[in-house]
Order: sequence, then C-alpha cells, then structure tokens
Amino acid sequence: MDSQERILLKVEGLKKYFPVRRGFFQRTAAHIKAVDGVDFAIAEGKSVGLVGESGCGKSTVARVILKLLEPDAGRIVYKGRDITPLSPKEMKPLRKEMQIVFQDPFSSLNPRMTVGQSIEEGLRILGLSKNRRQGRRDELLEMVGLSAMTADRYPHEFSGGQRQRVGVARALSVESSLIICDEPISALDVSIQAQIINLLKDLQDRLDLSYLFISHDLNVVGYLSDTVAVMYLGHVVEYARADTLFEDPRHPYTRVLLSAVPSVEADLTSKIKTLKGEVPSPMDPPPGCKFQGRCPLVEPRCKQGEIDFSRVGEDHLVRCWKAT
Amino acid sequence: MAEETFRTETKGMERYPGLTAFLEGWGIFRQSLLGKIGLVLLIMFALMALCSYIPPLIDPMYNPMTGVDPVITCSTGPSRAHWLGTDFMGRDILSQLLAGARVAFMVGVSAAFMSIVLGTAIGMTAGYMGRFMDTFLMRLADMIMVMPTLLVVLILAAVFGQLNIWTIVLIIALFRWPGVSRIIRGQTLSLKQRPFIEAAKVAGASHVRIIFRHIMPNVLPLAFLFMTFRVTSAIIIEAALAFLGFGDPGTVSWGMMLQWVWKTGHMFKAPYWLLPPGICISLITLSFYMLGRAMDEVLDPRLRKEDQTD
Repeated sequence: MDSQERILLKVEGLKKYFPVRRGFFQRTAAHIKAVDGVDFAIAEGKSVGLVGESGCGKSTVARVILKLLEPDAGRIVYKGRDITPLSPKEMKPLRKEMQIVFQDPFSSLNPRMTVGQSIEEGLRILGLSKNRRQGRRDELLEMVGLSAMTADRYPHEFSGGQRQRVGVARALSVESSLIICDEPISALDVSIQAQIINLLKDLQDRLDLSYLFISHDLNVVGYLSDTVAVMYLGHVVEYARADTLFEDPRHPYTRVLLSAVPSVEADLTSKIKTLKGEVPSPMDPPPGCKFQGRCPLVEPRCKQGEIDFSRVGEDHLVRCWKAT
Repeated sequence: MAEETFRTETKGMERYPGLTAFLEGWGIFRQSLLGKIGLVLLIMFALMALCSYIPPLIDPMYNPMTGVDPVITCSTGPSRAHWLGTDFMGRDILSQLLAGARVAFMVGVSAAFMSIVLGTAIGMTAGYMGRFMDTFLMRLADMIMVMPTLLVVLILAAVFGQLNIWTIVLIIALFRWPGVSRIIRGQTLSLKQRPFIEAAKVAGASHVRIIFRHIMPNVLPLAFLFMTFRVTSAIIIEAALAFLGFGDPGTVSWGMMLQWVWKTGHMFKAPYWLLPPGICISLITLSFYMLGRAMDEVLDPRLRKEDQTD
C-alpha cells in the first residue's frame, strides 16, 4: 500500500473471536467476532488512524497487536518479522519497541506506585541501573511537560491531563518506535484534549515515532494521521490517505461518519445523515456486506458473499460495490 | 494558597510511600466514634497484656499458673493481697486475667495473621491464574468454609488429646482463610482487568512481578481490614475451646479461667471470678470489631459520611 516508505507494522487479515460460553458445562455456544478481517500498514514515522463507533473492535485490534490477546487468524508483521506465533518470552525483547497509551488515565496508572515508579517500570525490567533510570525518568517528565519534581507523587495527586502525560512518558520510556494510542483523549476535557494531541504530534516529529491512533473522533484522527482505516463491525470498510478520505469518502458508512462530525457552521448541521437501525450483533453478522441493514444504497447483491476491497484510487481501498 | 502550603509541608513525607495515605486514613478514622472507642479499649487490653509480666516479679505467688497463696486454700473474694480475689486453690485472679490478655492477643493476632497470609496468597493465585486453578482453589475454599471450625477443632482435640496452644492457633488459621481468599480473589479479578496491569505486561513484566508489584499492594489494605475481623473470631474460638475443656492446660487464657470457674462449681458463687474473664472476652472482641468497622470506613469511601469534605 505504501510503496517507497519502509513499513514498520503490517497487519493482514487479523481476526479475533471471543467464545461465548453457556450452560452448565460451559460449552462454547457462539463466538463474538470482535475483529473479523483487519488489514493495514504503518510506515516508519507515520500514523495510521483507526476510526469506528463503540464496540466495532478498535481496542481489540490494539490488544491483539501487542499480543495481550492472541489472534485467531491473520498475521502481524513487525519490521518484516512475523510476530504472530511468538511466545510471551520471545515477545519480551520486542516489548520495548511497542508501547500503548490507554484511554482512561485514571485506571491506567497503579494507584500505589509513584508516577516515577510507573515510568521507570519498563526500564527496570530492561535492567537499567538506578542512576540511569532516574535520569531517563526526569528527562521524560520534562519531555511531556511535567516537572521532574513530580516523580515522587502518586497518581491521585494529578489531574486527568497530567496523568495522561505520565501515560505518554511511560510509553516513551523504552526505545519505542510504535505507540498505540487507544483513544488517548476521549476521557479528557476538550481543553486538555488539544494539549495532549499537540504533545503527541510534537513528540512524533522529535522522536520519529509511528502511531496507531485509535479514536471515534474523525477530526482528531484527520489531524494526526497520514492514513485512516474506517472500521465497522470488526472489519475495515475503507482505507485511504487522510486527505483523500475527507475529500472523497466512498463507503456509505464513511460518508455518514463524516457528515456527523460536528461543525461550527450552523447550516451544515441540517445535512447530517442519521443512520437507521442498530449495529448487528457481532455474534451473528449478516452474510455479505455487514453494513447492508443500515445502508441507504443497499441492493440484493450486497446480501450475498463476502465483499472484497476494491481499489478506487491510489492507496484508497473500499469494501463496497457502489464505490467503484 | 492553603493547598500550596500543604503541598510543601507534605513534600518531604511523600518520599515514604504509604505515609501520606496513612495520615489521610487516620484523619478519617479519627472522626469515627466506633473506631475511637475500639482503639481505647484495645490500648487498655494491650496495657493489660504488658502488665502481665509484673505480678510474678513482685511475688512468686502471683504467678498465674503455678503461684499459690500459701494461706488460702479455697476461692476468696477481693482483698488487699488479691485485688480480684483468688481461685479455688489460691491463685491470684488479677494476674490470671492479665496473663489472659496476653494469650488473647497472641492467639488472636497470630491466628488472624496466618489466615490472612494464607487467604491472600490463595486468593491472589486463584484470581490471577484463573481457569483450573481458580476453580480448584475456590471449591476447596467452599468445602472448608462450610465446615464449622469449632466442631472440627473439637473433633481433632478429641482424637489427638490435649492440643498445644500453637496447634490451636494453626488449626484456626487453617480453617479461617477461605473468607479472606474469596474477597481477595474478587479484588484480584477486578484489578486484573485494569489497564495498568496491561501496561505492565506491555512493559514486559513477568507474572511474579505483576502479582507482587501491582496486585499485592492494592489488595493488602483489604487483607489487613479482614485481619481485625479474623482476630475476633480466633479469640472466640479459642475461648470456647478452652471453656469446653479442650484448651491448652499449660496456658492461662480467659476461656480457661471460665472453665475453672465452671468445673469447680463456683459459677454462681463467685462473681468476682466469673465476671472479669467474661467481660474481657466480650470487650476485646468488641474492640477489634469496632476497629474493623472504622477501618472499613477508611478504606471504602462509599461508607463515609456525607458531610466529610475531601
């Protein structure tokens, strides 16, 4: 998809099903298809945005890439190496390169550890000496805009935005090259959101980081990402460069999402297309296009067979008949 | 401004993990009447336990177990030499009562501590490992939980003859961990899902590190809260056992004193002998219970009163 740039992370046909157990013997009665076919690639120093509504499997993708959950199918290729079959032990050396910033800044820090200890944890596991750890810790705190003096404080003494800065510092503590941001700003006040986004953007420029930026907010994703993948019910429905996606959205779902982005101009609000119906259960998605039940353009052939990506432009893939 | 000065004042103390939390907790504890009464009673009993070393030093006849007043051969009421009177063979009741406080603390605290250590370890293992281990350990806990502790100890005492006081402590501990482990398991299950555990995994932390550095510090306060309730039950079990005549004959506990009163037929004849150990047992269990309730309030913000601004 990205031809010249060096690919840092490539995800192909990723699937993760959660078993639903029922009855006395806990038999597996069904599967929740949380992630059902996700493909994208992140180039070095670039960002990919992953957008979609609640429950579409965005966070599961993050956890599967970090191997916190084992994928059921598909490949995760990091720096040209397939990390899918690696055991936890084999993953350990790679841990320092892939980090995560969580959504909720309140539960993502251990309340019984000082923020300094939280930041140092990765370094401690790498076996750095106390002096080097503390030096790095102070440097990181300054880097994310906190004072090095705060290292001895406990998380409850910080505000949400400050905690999220600590979360970013923790993610940067090791030699991270890929940072997965799992809705890093959705739990923060609007005024703080901008600060954190600017911090992330600034750090990317300075440290040449790659981001997988997960959000349900298209504005934020558009601002931070080079490429955007739109997810619906466990799979990617549209994949394009950020500017292309905003100018020329092809999938009906993307169009609806874009029309729902809040705007300052009042007259635009009247044009919001609202979707009818509910997201189908991920336990038993409809055959064919998963969006068929809510799509304004639905026709009979949408209800048969899996729909593949069709290329509609340079680096622009859509999972829809109507798009071509 | 006030907050700023507070910050600078506490800055030095924040270097000691837990101290600020302790002071904060103490502030809440102080406002609880139950907690204050409990603490005062407990300090009183602690002083009694400490004083138990004094009477035998004054005169060997004040030794709670072996000391006999040579001029007294039957139970007598309070007098100048024996402030609370003597028992049927002329032993001083006050020194027995003081020694009983020491035994109560020893039995209560050590049995509670052991059951807490066991319960916390098992609860964390079950909660963290999940799957088979969880099922196995929790069914084991269920089985032990439904066994009436006192009855089991009685049967063991009947089978093995007289039990040593430490054996009794050990048995109480072995039968009292399931309640703790259930609570700790629940807490562990909830902690396991928190993002900071995932963050630790992403940092490459081992299971041992996650359990000891991330889960244990977060469940320990709860475990110590339960310890106060376990102390109560351990003291009651020991007292009941001793009263029924299955205690350690070499130890003077309050239950033992009650047994002597009853066995020698002084139940309704010598209130100066019957009442002190009875009241002490009630008060010490009450004080631990009240302490536990107050600590519950400290640890669980939902139980705090509305008017406390924080």
